[in-house]
Amino acid sequence: MYSMDSMEEKELLQNITQQEYKEGFVTDVEQVYIPKGLNEDIIRMISSLKEEPEWLLEFRLDAFRKWQAMEQPRWGHLDLPEIDYQDIIYYAAPKKDSERPKEIDPALAETFEKLGIPLHEREALAGVVAVDAVFDSVSVKTTFRKALSEKGIIFCSFSEAVREHPDLVRKHLATVVPAGDNYFAALNSAVFSDGSFCYIPKGVKCPMELSSYFRINAAGTGQFERTLIVADEGSQLSYMEGCTAPMRDENQLHAAVVEIIVEKDADVKYSTVQNWYPGDAQGRGGILNLVTKRGLCRGTGSHLSWTQVETGSAITWKYPSTILMGDYSSSEFYSVALTNNRQQADTGTKMVHIGRGTRSRIVSKGISAGRSQNSYRGLVRFNPGAVGARNYSQCDSLLIGSECGAHTFPVIQSRCPSAVVEHEATTSKISEDQLFYCTQRGIPPEDAVGLIVGGYAREVLARLPMEFAMEAGKLLQVSLEGSIG
Amino acid sequence: MKEKIIDKGHYVDVPVPEGAVVVPAGSRLAVCYTLAGRHAFVLEAGASLDLCLLAFPGECDGLELSVDLVGEGAEASLSGICVCSEGEFPLKVTVRHRVGGCVSTQLFNGIVAGSARTGFDGRIVVAPDAQKTKAFQTNHNLLLGDAARAETRPQLEIYADDVECSHGATIGRLDESAQFYMQSRGIPEKEAKVLQMISFLSPVLEHVPEDRREEIAARIEQTVRSL
Repeated sequence: MYSMDSMEEKELLQNITQQEYKEGFVTDVEQVYIPKGLNEDIIRMISSLKEEPEWLLEFRLDAFRKWQAMEQPRWGHLDLPEIDYQDIIYYAAPKKDSERPKEIDPALAETFEKLGIPLHEREALAGVVAVDAVFDSVSVKTTFRKALSEKGIIFCSFSEAVREHPDLVRKHLATVVPAGDNYFAALNSAVFSDGSFCYIPKGVKCPMELSSYFRINAAGTGQFERTLIVADEGSQLSYMEGCTAPMRDENQLHAAVVEIIVEKDADVKYSTVQNWYPGDAQGRGGILNLVTKRGLCRGTGSHLSWTQVETGSAITWKYPSTILMGDYSSSEFYSVALTNNRQQADTGTKMVHIGRGTRSRIVSKGISAGRSQNSYRGLVRFNPGAVGARNYSQCDSLLIGSECGAHTFPVIQSRCPSAVVEHEATTSKISEDQLFYCTQRGIPPEDAVGLIVGGYAREVLARLPMEFAMEAGKLLQVSLEGSIG
Repeated sequence: MKEKIIDKGHYVDVPVPEGAVVVPAGSRLAVCYTLAGRHAFVLEAGASLDLCLLAFPGECDGLELSVDLVGEGAEASLSGICVCSEGEFPLKVTVRHRVGGCVSTQLFNGIVAGSARTGFDGRIVVAPDAQKTKAFQTNHNLLLGDAARAETRPQLEIYADDVECSHGATIGRLDESAQFYMQSRGIPEKEAKVLQMISFLSPVLEHVPEDRREEIAARIEQTVRSL
């Protein structure tokens, strides 16, 4: 049987772990900051900077008071550093040119160009994607708004939505993730800056992919974006989210909230490729990604699908969940989480079955390399009324190298005798047979590992929209390089 | 008051529980009984443990079991049948693979009827460097009755890479097509249900020592009929 000697192994490991994070640059642009710290005055300041109505300020203050009474959760399988919430700048925005207030700063345009996010409304090779680009605390540009509004679709930054569609925002805000839902959701509700808002009217099929791109640039800040998606009866939407940040020695906090409301017979697909800066090989720096994402399948026959590829962040704490309230509603969760070096991930999903005949499916693939820790944590719950509900969960973990860890913590609760749930999980390392097969045919071990991991993650990657799938595939290769052991 | 969970995200070398039953190197222990309370076993090199637990209605109200594999080549086979019709029955099983080259298998099948609540909390921990570990865990539950509740938490915590670990858990009902098959062949509904429940529990029966198998099979049938 083929087996690498330890020297060879070490060398390979080094090559892979030394891969560069190519999105790690900083954009030199003049920025407006508010002072460090967190208190009611800061919240009032954020609110007034954004010229918000009174009700929203009240919402923020209420959330802040709830947050103050809460404690940071410690149940995650994570070695979370102490976060000094008074040492963070909660609002940073690129300065607007007073002479040309309508135009985007060329430096910003260039940044997004470099990241491969087209801010010009031109047709990309793979299709048309409308983008809402968020830079630190503000949305700098939303493309294709006009084309979308002809169909009645509202796609804009959250701040604009508050100004232009206050009733819609007020009606749906915090209906899925209440302000006091958890520690980080409460923090976000208090200080959230910008994010995307999307409304698809009755019976409309969104003609293009919508996407949000989040970029952290300023040092010493955190990003607290809020996304609200409402899909009205019979509508259809595919939404994508991407993110990157510069390389820094300090940890930066990212605490987002995403709320999705899916009405009768509507269909929403939400895809994420998370590529925040993961910190260096020694575990210095990186983004603390502590987010709350939740969808509500409110109407009969509604459908929500989550697909996520997690390769970045020093720490990921994230559980995109679905509440299956409408009868015969369904949801899926497909996830690939890859951790390398000293990254830590505690991620998974929650499927709460309330309505009759609701169905859900969970496919989670964890890959841990280097000295990372990768956990799947999930909940599947059937309430007494979930007659005939069904869930199938599968969680696989792949270990590369002897110093990493892979963990599975599912919780399954049933109070409905006619519901059926199945859960299975496996953990193994890359099979030596597969590796031998490849190397024997002249494929270098490193490429062979990439190939095997690609095949392992395929089931999930195949669910991503095309332009994302390609990016995600490449990302997996890059993140893995040098991790064979 | 629930104890506060502080998880630091890395391996914690918990000491072997005090007062544990030690299975000495190379020896074999096979037991089959109704247990309650806390029990701990420590397996030395090459030792093997064959443990089969039985919980019939009204007989026990919860169990905490821990098995530590401390010597290479140790093997633990844990299995259990749990039939509940009322009250709470929490079952906590922790298997720690502290060294490599050990095998552990778990099979726990439960029937939750009436107003019973069961909770299975199974944890497999594979320590760093415990290579060539094989650990498997299965927990199946049948939920009968609208007031019954079942919860299962099959957990894997793995810090070594050359391992083969898996767990599977299900919560479900009696298979309708099997029920229909039997009924269409003249087996009364009640009898069909009993038959299916027995077949659901019978994989565990194989772990019962041969000399007691008949007695326990009869016990299972009697219990299932009374549900």
